[in-house]
Amino acid sequence: MSAHEDDSKADLLQGTLDLLVLKALSAQPLHGLGVSNRISQITKGTFDVKPGSLFPALHRMAEAGWLKAEWGESENKRRAKYYSLTKAGRRQLETETEDWQRISMAMTSALRAT
Amino acid sequence: MERELSEELSSYVELLTEKNMKDGMNETDARRAALVEVGGVEQVKEEVRASRTGFSLETFLMDLRYGMRSLLKKPGFTLTAVIALALGIGANTAIFSVINGVLLRSLSYADPEKLVMVWEHNLQENDRQNVVSPGNFLDWSSQSKSFEQMAAFVSRPTNLTGGREPEEIRVQLVSQGFFPALGVQPMLGRAFTPEEDRIGNDLVVILSHALWQNRFGASPQILGQTVTMNGRQRTVIGVMPPGFHFLDDKVLAWMPMAMDPAINYREVGGRYLQVMARLKPGVTIEQAQAEMTGIGKQIEQAHPKFNAGWNVALLPMHEQVVGEIKPILIVLFAAVAFVLLIACANVANLLLSRAAARQKELALRAALGASRTRLVRQMLTESVLLATMGGLLGVILAYWGIQLLIGFGPDNIPRLNEITIDPRVLGFTLAVSLFTGLLFGLIPALQASRPDLNDALKEGSRGSTGGRSRTLRNVFVIAEVSIALVLLIGAGLMIRSFMQLQSVETGFRPENVLTMRVQLPRTKYKEPHQIVDFFKQAQDRIAAVPGVQAIGAISYLPLTGPAARDAFKIVGQPEPAPGQENPTEVRVITPTYFQAMGIPLLKGRLLDERDGKEPRVLLINETLARKYFPNDDPIGKRIEVTWGEGGPDEIVGVVGDIKEGALDKEPEAAVYWPHSREPYSGMALIVRTAGDAARFGAAVQKEIRGLDPDQPIADLRTMKQVISKSIARPRFNTLLLTIFAGVALVLASVGLYGVMNYSATQRTHEVGIRMALGATRADIMRLVVGNGMLLTLVGIGIGVVASWGLTRVMQSFLFGVGATDAVTFIAVSGLLILVALVANYIPARKATRVNPVIALRYE
Repeated sequence: MSAHEDDSKADLLQGTLDLLVLKALSAQPLHGLGVSNRISQITKGTFDVKPGSLFPALHRMAEAGWLKAEWGESENKRRAKYYSLTKAGRRQLETETEDWQRISMAMTSALRAT
Repeated sequence: MERELSEELSSYVELLTEKNMKDGMNETDARRAALVEVGGVEQVKEEVRASRTGFSLETFLMDLRYGMRSLLKKPGFTLTAVIALALGIGANTAIFSVINGVLLRSLSYADPEKLVMVWEHNLQENDRQNVVSPGNFLDWSSQSKSFEQMAAFVSRPTNLTGGREPEEIRVQLVSQGFFPALGVQPMLGRAFTPEEDRIGNDLVVILSHALWQNRFGASPQILGQTVTMNGRQRTVIGVMPPGFHFLDDKVLAWMPMAMDPAINYREVGGRYLQVMARLKPGVTIEQAQAEMTGIGKQIEQAHPKFNAGWNVALLPMHEQVVGEIKPILIVLFAAVAFVLLIACANVANLLLSRAAARQKELALRAALGASRTRLVRQMLTESVLLATMGGLLGVILAYWGIQLLIGFGPDNIPRLNEITIDPRVLGFTLAVSLFTGLLFGLIPALQASRPDLNDALKEGSRGSTGGRSRTLRNVFVIAEVSIALVLLIGAGLMIRSFMQLQSVETGFRPENVLTMRVQLPRTKYKEPHQIVDFFKQAQDRIAAVPGVQAIGAISYLPLTGPAARDAFKIVGQPEPAPGQENPTEVRVITPTYFQAMGIPLLKGRLLDERDGKEPRVLLINETLARKYFPNDDPIGKRIEVTWGEGGPDEIVGVVGDIKEGALDKEPEAAVYWPHSREPYSGMALIVRTAGDAARFGAAVQKEIRGLDPDQPIADLRTMKQVISKSIARPRFNTLLLTIFAGVALVLASVGLYGVMNYSATQRTHEVGIRMALGATRADIMRLVVGNGMLLTLVGIGIGVVASWGLTRVMQSFLFGVGATDAVTFIAVSGLLILVALVANYIPARKATRVNPVIALRYE
């Protein structure tokens, strides 16, 4: 990822990005910009995913069978590609969520330790 | 895919522009901001491409580069693997090119699948490939309707004189349908006309390309010139294209057969022609066979004396050419496939060991997000790369191998000279390389791509690959050992069989015997007494050469092909029914033949100079005496051979049996007639000498020239060479199978060594502990060697069972040894155990040298 204009916005580890994309799509199918907006919204602006990392992630995950993509129309009648979770995607979301929680708890306790 | 991606990105830009406008920007600013955010459509596309794991050229090239680098980093590993694969693939390519050239490529005649051989079918002996009587051939060709052409042909030695040295060449006498049936035209001039197939018009000849080049300097003015063959002038009317031959590739010229339909051939001669035919369009070989069976029955009724018990048998030409060689080619092909399997198992084991060493690297890549498919693909790219390198080297090996095969191959393998590496062979090699790459690469790749991240990345982990990988390695080793054993047993059986063949009692003493053939032209030696005199004088002259101990002559040299055969009856016994006659070989000899050849007289007397036309006497061999006079003394009994016209002959002596047709065939009943009564114009001379027989060639030749300067001699060689040539094919098969089995043994023992060495290294720590706890070196030795030998013994067990089933297909190639010969099975297993012991001992010794202090400190 290129250097960010905004230092408060964190770099994303690949695993984290996948998890965020899965999470963003768990409520409803979204197009690319929709995913980006949704991530920004649920992370309260901490993560701003640029197309340069978003699209590779979407394509890779579609190929892994976690997402499926369909052409649809946006609210403004524009043609856009909509992504939604597959069954495998939902399972992946669950395992990655668990993994993340374990790591984050471990990290938190590690950092608390004196 | 690409277009959709562009569309998706532009839709993103549009949507973002809209959003920006909604947020209050004007359209230009909104679009510019959107484009800035996307940050270069091409870069994004590139990133997407890179993230795809499906097939793309870029990833493939990247894998290739990476694979190349990692193979170059381990040159020892790479070299071992490539050599193993090259041996396997090379052997397969070489044998496949033989199969391709001999079995798969069609014959080089027009519509070869329409060509058939037409043989007489000897119902009594169920011989479906008996040569044909001219009388029967003439009836077949005039009565049958299934064929476009039917042609008879026969090879004959012919003396070519005039100009240079006299020379004996092989000529095919052919009836008029011959060239039209094959659909081949001369390169220069023309084929025979039907008129030239009549006596009187037949003094024409067509030369082979080789004869035209070697004897006539490839002169373009050759057409219309005359050449002297068997003392008669013949006009050259054509030259065949290079490489043209039909069934007999030693033939150097073709002449019309010029049969005379007025002659009753069934009265004057036996069966000696070969016949081929071209099926009419739409006629199947079964229909033709049905028609010919009917015709055969009619002829049998019309000429019961000659044809009782005979019919007609058709054989597709391709079968005729390659039928005999096919089974051994299939065995050899199976053998090289086994060699390749061993090579694969070997390389798979190498890869497993290597994957163990690379585990950290793989785990790291997996942790960084490489999916399992991605890792498997990377590793498969590497193994296919290895296999391709092995394939390239293999083609070079195969090229050499084919040169060797052609150089050393016996000249009775059909179409051997047609073997080349053509596109089909290369395609085969490529397919084999890719397939082997996947075959040996897949299991290690699947195995290695599932690393336990936690364990592998742990500091200080020894990178041991748990039990699963070790089991796999052991399975591969067992497979290698058992396949190698199958090959070794196959080769062992062939060797045993060949040794039996070589130690066969021939019935004569081949040491220090020189042989050659002299074919007198009938045009020059018209009278029978001229022929008899020539050979008598030749024998006298040669006998006077210092160092010559004995000289004799015979109509057909033993072990060089079938002799003349006929039926006989015993005077005083009821005549056998037509078709049920007693068969015998008929050999014509000069009296001194038996001394020259070293064949013992068992009873009675030999022939001598006084035995001529009257009284009629002959000798019989032991088999005839045993079979037909089991309880009587044959001496003084009289038998009548059908072909002799002057009544029965009295048996005056019994001589020992000899191997006549082939070393692996039992002797048949035979009679010997004196040459003075049946003056064959072509005889084989047998010269027994003091010391090396080969040295007498020039002296003998000089004596023949002294008698007749135009008379060539042919096939000058020692009797030892004759015997050796008669078993050239089994020797060649044995040699090939032994080479393949040897390669298999080396590969399998290297594989065994590799695995044992690896496991010994892995167990350094364990050995250290054991030694620290008081284990002696002998204990450690037993531990490590025992482990390897267990694998070997399991492999041998499986191999013995597999061989038990597989070697049965070899029964027809074996002589004097059963396909499940216990001696071979035990000896070969013993050899393999010995080799395995060595392969185990070296790593075991290394293990015992472990210094426990160092081994335990090394953490």
